[in-house]
Amino acid sequence: MVINVKNLVKRYGNLIALDHFNLEVQEGEILGLLGPNGSGKTTAINCILSLLKYDKGTIEIYDQPMSPEAYAIKRNIGVVMQNVAVFNELTVYENIDYFCGLYVSDKQTRKKLVAEAIDFVGLNDFKKFYPKKLSGGLLRRLNIACGIAHKPKLIILDEPTVAVDPQSRNNILEGIMELNRQGATIIYTSHYMEEIEQICSRIAIMDKGKIIAMGTNEDLKKMIKSGEHINLELLNPEELELSEIKSLPHVISAELTDHQLVVKSSRGKNNLIMILDHLKDQNIGIGKIYSEPPTLNDVFLEITGKELRD
Amino acid sequence: MQVYKAFFKVILKNRTQILIYLVVFMALALILSGAYNPPQDTDFTKVKVNIAFINDDGDSQLVAGLKTYLGENANLVAIPDDTKKLQDALFFRQVEYILRVPAGFTEDMLNGKEVQLEKTTVPDSTSNIYMDLLINKYLNTVKTYTTYLPGLSQDELSQNLEKDLAEQSEVTMISNGTHSIYAEKSGYYFNYLSYSLFAILILGVCSVMLVFNDTDLKRRNLCSPIRSANMNMQMVLGNISFAILTWLVLISASFIMYGSFMFTATGLLLLLNSFVFTLAVLSISYLIGNLVKSRGAMSAIANVFALGTSFISGVFVPQELLGANVLTIASFTPTYWYVKANNEITAAVSFNTDNLSSIFTSMVLVLAFGVAVLGVTLVLIKQRRVES
Repeated sequence: MVINVKNLVKRYGNLIALDHFNLEVQEGEILGLLGPNGSGKTTAINCILSLLKYDKGTIEIYDQPMSPEAYAIKRNIGVVMQNVAVFNELTVYENIDYFCGLYVSDKQTRKKLVAEAIDFVGLNDFKKFYPKKLSGGLLRRLNIACGIAHKPKLIILDEPTVAVDPQSRNNILEGIMELNRQGATIIYTSHYMEEIEQICSRIAIMDKGKIIAMGTNEDLKKMIKSGEHINLELLNPEELELSEIKSLPHVISAELTDHQLVVKSSRGKNNLIMILDHLKDQNIGIGKIYSEPPTLNDVFLEITGKELRD
Repeated sequence: MQVYKAFFKVILKNRTQILIYLVVFMALALILSGAYNPPQDTDFTKVKVNIAFINDDGDSQLVAGLKTYLGENANLVAIPDDTKKLQDALFFRQVEYILRVPAGFTEDMLNGKEVQLEKTTVPDSTSNIYMDLLINKYLNTVKTYTTYLPGLSQDELSQNLEKDLAEQSEVTMISNGTHSIYAEKSGYYFNYLSYSLFAILILGVCSVMLVFNDTDLKRRNLCSPIRSANMNMQMVLGNISFAILTWLVLISASFIMYGSFMFTATGLLLLLNSFVFTLAVLSISYLIGNLVKSRGAMSAIANVFALGTSFISGVFVPQELLGANVLTIASFTPTYWYVKANNEITAAVSFNTDNLSSIFTSMVLVLAFGVAVLGVTLVLIKQRRVES
């Protein structure tokens, strides 16, 4: 096992940031820590990295207890912080070389690793640039390169795509998947469920310092009643009796906004056909129709009663 | 040695600001110390004071002896015994001292009675004291003879007086060296050096500390497999290297200007004093570096501290011209003791236990400042670590 966290408790005064937090990370997986802001993701990461003292619990990495002095363990970890942590006074190359040099002392090996990291994040044209001259996306890439240049076995990325444009975000996500393909175990925290769904092999959903659900994307969606979201554009919505829709089998909720009817239904066959038949019987014309599978937000909503993005 | 290398890369990135201080202040120090012309040494020449000698006693050998004796050490100006004329002579500085020998002077002196001579002088004149000394010397010698050899005739007394007062003591100057013209010039240069040293070290050390004390970078460094003690050691090493490098650059100008003088005892003491001061300034810069949070504050503190301490400690204005209260306040800064030691080093023609002990006391005080400030900084760092 790569990481084994048991009953971790972290308090800030009266506030419990981590409430008996448990986590197991297996070799070769991309584990996503998903949760709204303030759910305890970063606190958990900081405790795992021994950047924060905790009140209770145990943390083991590669079957060794983790502590601020566990330098042998730290040698195998790559860290990409939520805030970009680079030297503004050093160029892109010098920054990566600095952080890589904290792990790799041999100059020749380091030179090769730095070149590979620069290549990996696509900063070849910006090697001599100072961080202040880089765009937000490029800066995030530099932050990642500084964390992964020494080719760690375990990479912890704490919200690495905050304030990054969609194109750069896709580049970063593809890069993370590539690192995983090369053999790295990855812990990825984010409050963007789409990112987590896209890259993570296993997802842990956090709220109020606890993991409230854990499993693969599919496992999590199977845990909830919601099956699909059916969206229909109605041509004459004034004819619709919403209560009749709500009384149809498997329908959990139905909402009408202007011409848009959104029906949330539980798992079941022919849900869409039943709704269409009913609308036809009521002589209600239909424009566009589309159906969406449940999202992680639905999972979160159903478990906690609140939206993930609240 | 990643941290050590990064230390100098950060310094290099801030080189423009540091170089401005270095070049401007070195140029300033060179110009000011070069423009200073020490006062030329003058030989001692005896100046004779113009005096008027009025005798109301009549001709006696004792009065004649006094007049002759005074005449050897002053210019006797003949002025009629008229109050108005005598006052005019004083007013127009024709004479600076009028001595009146009263009637009965000789008899009273020979009989061992108390004698009072009358004098009229120019107010606040130094000649007044000089003449008093001469007259007292004559009268005291007479009194010694009349007290211990009462049977002496006036003739014998005069001969003895003439012989005794003609006695001269030989004075030899004991000195093992001459005061070089470079001594005071270099003193000025080394005093100015304190200002540039303060400004450069505060700017350099603070700019690096600001970077390495950034919370995100600090946390990122803590994730690495390098021990905190190792990183701190590299930082300390970087600070010391930077301070020594700055000191070497600054003192190199003194070698260019004063050449072999810098290898004399005075020169070497000046170098030692400036090195001790560099360590104290480094310590203070390290404390400031741990306190400041922004570059704006850093520049402001560098200017205020460097200029402020220089002004009150006698860098720009000699300590002798500063008020007692100012100097008392200044004595709580290392610059004051550094400048004091510099002044003592350059003022000394030769070095002995007395002046060396004073110079080394100042140096020890400067070093004590450095150690005390370093202690405070380490406590501050530890407290912050515990809090975080």
